[in-house]
Amino acid sequence: MHRVINKVRNSEFLTFNELMRLKVSVVSTFLVVFILFTIPISSLENVRDNFSLLIPISIVVLTVITILLILLNVNRLAMHTANIAILILTIYYTRGDNHFYGFILFFIALTILIFFQDILAYLFYGLGIVGFGVYYLNLNGMKIVGENSINPAISILTYHVALIGFFLLFLIQFLLSDSIYEKMNREWVRMNRLLRRYQDYTFGYIEEIEEENEVEPVWKDNRFQKTVHEISLFINQFFEKDAEKISEVVEYYFFLHTQELSEILENKEANIFAKRYAIQMDKYLLNHNSEMIGILLDFSTLFMKENKYTNKRYDYNLDRLLRDSSDKLLFLAILYRFLKREVTRFDKWGKISETLSHDEITNLFKSSVFREFITYEQLNFYLDNEELFRDNL
Amino acid sequence: MLKNRFRYQYQQLNTYKEQLELQHLRVKTIIVNVINILFALLVFYFFTVLKITTNKLVIVELLFGIQLLINLYLYAQSEDQYNNLKLSLYVNTLFEYVIAVTLIFIFQTPSVFTLLFLAYATTAIYQDSKVTLLSNISIFFAGLLLTINYPLVFKTTGTTTYQEMLIVIYLFLYIILLSISSYIIIKRKSFFYNNLAKIKESEVRNIRLMAEIGRIAGNEHFQGTEYYSSLQRFFTEVCKKIGIENIFTRKINLLKDLEYKLPAELIAKYPEYTVERLQELEEMRLAVMSKFHHLAVKASKVGEVAFNKKEQFSEALFQSFKHPTDEQYVKIIAFSVFYVLLKTDKLFLKEFDEEKIRDILMNSEYFYLIDSKIFQIYQDNYQVFDMIVQDVLKERLEYAPRYK
Repeated sequence: MHRVINKVRNSEFLTFNELMRLKVSVVSTFLVVFILFTIPISSLENVRDNFSLLIPISIVVLTVITILLILLNVNRLAMHTANIAILILTIYYTRGDNHFYGFILFFIALTILIFFQDILAYLFYGLGIVGFGVYYLNLNGMKIVGENSINPAISILTYHVALIGFFLLFLIQFLLSDSIYEKMNREWVRMNRLLRRYQDYTFGYIEEIEEENEVEPVWKDNRFQKTVHEISLFINQFFEKDAEKISEVVEYYFFLHTQELSEILENKEANIFAKRYAIQMDKYLLNHNSEMIGILLDFSTLFMKENKYTNKRYDYNLDRLLRDSSDKLLFLAILYRFLKREVTRFDKWGKISETLSHDEITNLFKSSVFREFITYEQLNFYLDNEELFRDNL
Repeated sequence: MLKNRFRYQYQQLNTYKEQLELQHLRVKTIIVNVINILFALLVFYFFTVLKITTNKLVIVELLFGIQLLINLYLYAQSEDQYNNLKLSLYVNTLFEYVIAVTLIFIFQTPSVFTLLFLAYATTAIYQDSKVTLLSNISIFFAGLLLTINYPLVFKTTGTTTYQEMLIVIYLFLYIILLSISSYIIIKRKSFFYNNLAKIKESEVRNIRLMAEIGRIAGNEHFQGTEYYSSLQRFFTEVCKKIGIENIFTRKINLLKDLEYKLPAELIAKYPEYTVERLQELEEMRLAVMSKFHHLAVKASKVGEVAFNKKEQFSEALFQSFKHPTDEQYVKIIAFSVFYVLLKTDKLFLKEFDEEKIRDILMNSEYFYLIDSKIFQIYQDNYQVFDMIVQDVLKERLEYAPRYK
């Protein structure tokens, strides 16, 4: 239970599959509790007809299948079996005599579908539930009309409005969150990759500086190695008494700096532990733009003195940054010249010494990612005068 | 253990997060108000069909009207729109339940009771933690008090028994499930706002860092002086081709003057330019670290990044020293390397003393990057960590002096 609560609390760090697993687990628990909890109540109800036995058995079987699928980590399928179980559960309980209680169950069933936050499942099963709900109201509507009701037809219409309205309102919520978070998610993933690319260049410059000044990288320094070794030994003693193994792993960590990961993985002589540690430690090596370097570079940006936030701080579109249309064309030309003349790329030997060619710039200007910088109008101006750009800038 | 995760963070973060959320708040406010107007019309239709006394209709429609007016007023405020729209969320949430309960009291039928669910669904559109809390409290207590004090509301023609307890249990289950669901959505929403805001600022700073290191490496020498003659040539040709007067010569001269002339001199020399336009161009000046330089550097890199639109974020995209698949030894070494690097003077980051390192790690999001058990060991023994470094390194470990 504590683990589930912790997972819910840190749900933002879960992948979609892990999150689905968590949700199906919660719904399955809910299903089991609900079935156990409502047995005494439902037994008081007069559940009529011959399907009375078949339906609860199918619910129990589906719930067991759901739990098994969770254990097998087939979470999406588990979501579907859970949804079908809910659907059957709703049908089962609405067959009793207590119709208002049955009607409220439609909201509970929709609530469970909402819980999964899966728009297709919500549409598919949700429409099924709402459709059945409308049928149910047409069949039993008069039985759930209040005694105080002035006009039974309006009462039934109110039930319809509440059920369909509830479904539609949550559909709006789904569509809104899907569009908002999909967009933010895509932007974050793209920015993350771009950030790593900047850091590739920063690290490339650092390597160039070290090479030019004949400075050995920090990981080759004996004092650095010894300090890391001592600190690791100290931490490790809180976990185990034997210091031999961690010493070996630390040595292996520094040894990995002199090896190519692919060579270690392809080496048939290397044992499985060596390969496993090589994969795991590759992201913490200091000889390439690893995760360790990325964290450190990002860490250093915390202490930069930067200007305050303004509305245009993260805007890179010439069209929005400049008001005058001729200014926009002027900076389009400057941008072209920057890309063509300034060294901005790695060459095939890993040195930062390349510029972009005219054709590469044209392809870049035409690409969809470049709409972040220039509009179609500016692109058309460029394409209309492409030769002049190429020959004069 | 973590004291204040916001002490060491980009100062621009909160303002941009608000900007991001504000865009969505506007849309949500409009949607909720359109829904309210539709409900107001529906209620009007029901009252008319049922021929219910006018004063009751006036009360309900007045409530809808007041709600709409408050929303319009708050939406129209140009100052501090973020907080005004937040206020409108809370006001709307309360009004939804006040209207629903008023309708329940007027009609006193079980069908109208289900409007509480509609009120909940309407407020769920906001996906705001305080709104969810307010909505949960409102629906639960409204439901509970109605079932206890007004059981007749739930009396139907089809059954002789009341069902108060069942309704309370259902409400409870309903709230529990939707609360967990909302909690997960809201956490994810805050996570995205935070990460997106962080990464946007991080981009600006990483471009600057790259330019600074590139300048040391002798690679960043972007200078306007090398651009002007080719720009003059280009625009002469363009104007000739289009057949218009060359208006760009003066603009290019202005760009040159921006490099060394004072604002007052510029205003005198270029009277056709307003102060705002001059400021706009000043930000775009052709120099390293200007806005234009950031733009151009970013433009030069975007094409290098392959990106699949369907790609979702995954654990692998998060950088940390505690990946769940890592062995304990690996986590220990990762933290040790990071710690010793913080004690080392580097080209891009000066070394920190022990107090500062501890302060940063305990008051920033970097706390979350470290395995909690390892961090606890550091926290309990930071003086020993410092002593080990002092003992082994003896003197400063410098990796930058020769470049300075």
